[in-house]
Amino acid sequence: MTTSAGTDLKNPAASGAFSRSAAKDDHSEGMSYLESLPRKTVTVYIPLFIIVVVLLFPFYWMFITSIKPDQDLLDLHGGNPLWVSEPTFRHFYKLLFESNYPTWLWNTMFVAVCATFLSIVASVLAAYAITRIRYKGAQTVGGLIFLAYLVPPSILFIPLSTIIHVYGLFDTPFALILTYPTILIPFCTWLLMGYFKTIPYELEECALIDGASRWQILVKIIIPLAVPGLISAFIFAFTLCWNEFIYALTFISSNPNKTVPTAIVSEFVDGDVFRWGSLMAGALVGSLPLVILYAFFVEHYVSAMTGAVKE
Amino acid sequence: MADAAVARTEARPMPGEPSAWQQLKVNRNWLGFWFMVPAMAFLVLFLVYPLGKGLWMSFTDARIGREGRFVGLENFEWLSEDSDFIGALIFTIVFTFVASAVKFAIGLYLALLLNNNLPFKAFIRSVVLIPFIVPTVLSAVAFWWIFDTQFSVITWGLVKMGIIDRGSPINWMGDPFMAQCVVIFANIWRGIPFIAITLLAGLQTVSPSLYEAATLDGATRWQNFRYVTYPLLTPIIAVVMTFSVLFTFTDFQLIWAMTRGGPVNATHLMATLSYQRGILGGNLGEGAAIAISMVPFLLAAIMFSWFGLQRRKWQQGESND
Repeated sequence: MTTSAGTDLKNPAASGAFSRSAAKDDHSEGMSYLESLPRKTVTVYIPLFIIVVVLLFPFYWMFITSIKPDQDLLDLHGGNPLWVSEPTFRHFYKLLFESNYPTWLWNTMFVAVCATFLSIVASVLAAYAITRIRYKGAQTVGGLIFLAYLVPPSILFIPLSTIIHVYGLFDTPFALILTYPTILIPFCTWLLMGYFKTIPYELEECALIDGASRWQILVKIIIPLAVPGLISAFIFAFTLCWNEFIYALTFISSNPNKTVPTAIVSEFVDGDVFRWGSLMAGALVGSLPLVILYAFFVEHYVSAMTGAVKE
Repeated sequence: MADAAVARTEARPMPGEPSAWQQLKVNRNWLGFWFMVPAMAFLVLFLVYPLGKGLWMSFTDARIGREGRFVGLENFEWLSEDSDFIGALIFTIVFTFVASAVKFAIGLYLALLLNNNLPFKAFIRSVVLIPFIVPTVLSAVAFWWIFDTQFSVITWGLVKMGIIDRGSPINWMGDPFMAQCVVIFANIWRGIPFIAITLLAGLQTVSPSLYEAATLDGATRWQNFRYVTYPLLTPIIAVVMTFSVLFTFTDFQLIWAMTRGGPVNATHLMATLSYQRGILGGNLGEGAAIAISMVPFLLAAIMFSWFGLQRRKWQQGESND
């Protein structure tokens, strides 16, 4: 009984168009009329509310801490710590004008943009070759690239650090610009392969008959059609770069070359005194560019995340 | 068919003997090779080569600034008697297991909640993803402050609720066991959005009419989940959990930003221990050996979550025919 229920029901879902149209239709009421409001409140709204509060509380606390005057920070029981009576922007001021923070922000941005750009160029070429040129062994190479995605940076950073020394890249932004693509290329290639497969072959055939070279096809036909995929790949790769920590920690040693994540954990600690206000302000400002980018491209972001998993 | 057409255009005989240069430009395999060059160059130089070199280094006594001599399995023999390493190994396994299980449970629950008809659904979904967007280190810093030993807001809340006494606050980051719980909690917090949103994407491809049909047949809510949702979601769960286990097992930044392995090495994961020994301590060979000892566990985890769940799918598919 159980297996038959599972498998019988599987078929309609597998027959693409029907299920997709049904699932996409978010406005369809479905069976929701069976649910009364009080019941839904208990089973859906309250648990959802609790989870969302837990997920967001650290950000609230970061924000509150970053605008609190120093004496309030170390006096929990004086007033309500969840609220600020006299907000101050001193921490932000100190961060932006009395520390190297702007430099770190610029470093992070520079490294992330360069590494993302390099990875996308390499990935577009690779994904096109694997899906469309289909040279001998393309399938195998696709599989190997997926395997590369599963190799974590934490087992590579020690040998890489010696290699970086040998190439003379230690403590330069190029150490990061050249190593980040190893994390990004497998992901971007995999994502773009999915996009390229959806572009109809006929377009390419027409172009070939008209005498276009493979390069012209890629630049004039495939890339313009894959723009949504490129945006997704760009945003996700950019986020990964911004987030990267272990390579930045290992390959960069001098203060003015650091990126935001590594600088935050090492430069804001004077002996045993943690400058909590500046630390939180730094964390907040460091997350802001990503959150803004994310706010504009939520859909691309989600499709990048789920696309890479679904393939 | 489309493929055949493309092949025909390329196989068209050249006027006269095609020169070697023409071959390089037109031949399918050569063309593919040229397109692959940039990606392969990066991956070979900075991924395959370091992987091999890491394996080699784990058999040497390399130190910073000095090429090592081959010492066979000596590093691994040392490690097998090193209580810090054994501790890190056990904690890594516990950390991965507990964090992944809880992340999966809450993530799936959250995905099911979000799959309801909700007002402002898109907005809630974007908000839920924020912990995943914000760089791990920066949110780890926030957790560091939230669980500060003296000025923890959690302690304040517990005191206000009368659960603990103000005179004896909980030593979150100072007590080994509490510190372990805190880093696991932080990892779960950060991992939930990824799992919830990817599973939600899977749920949205399940047609509502399946639930209608099942409900008409008298299925309860649990049966709806167990016999409709779960089987359809299995493939995506397999992939998501493989990634989740992998990234949890090799986590570095969260621990490094929050505890640096302390107190008394209680929260060292293998990655952080490898950094401490290899880079800070200068014993590259030993650090590489620690990193390489993660590989068998990673392979086992991938095999387990991948094939374990794939087989389920395959079994169900087979009974279909």
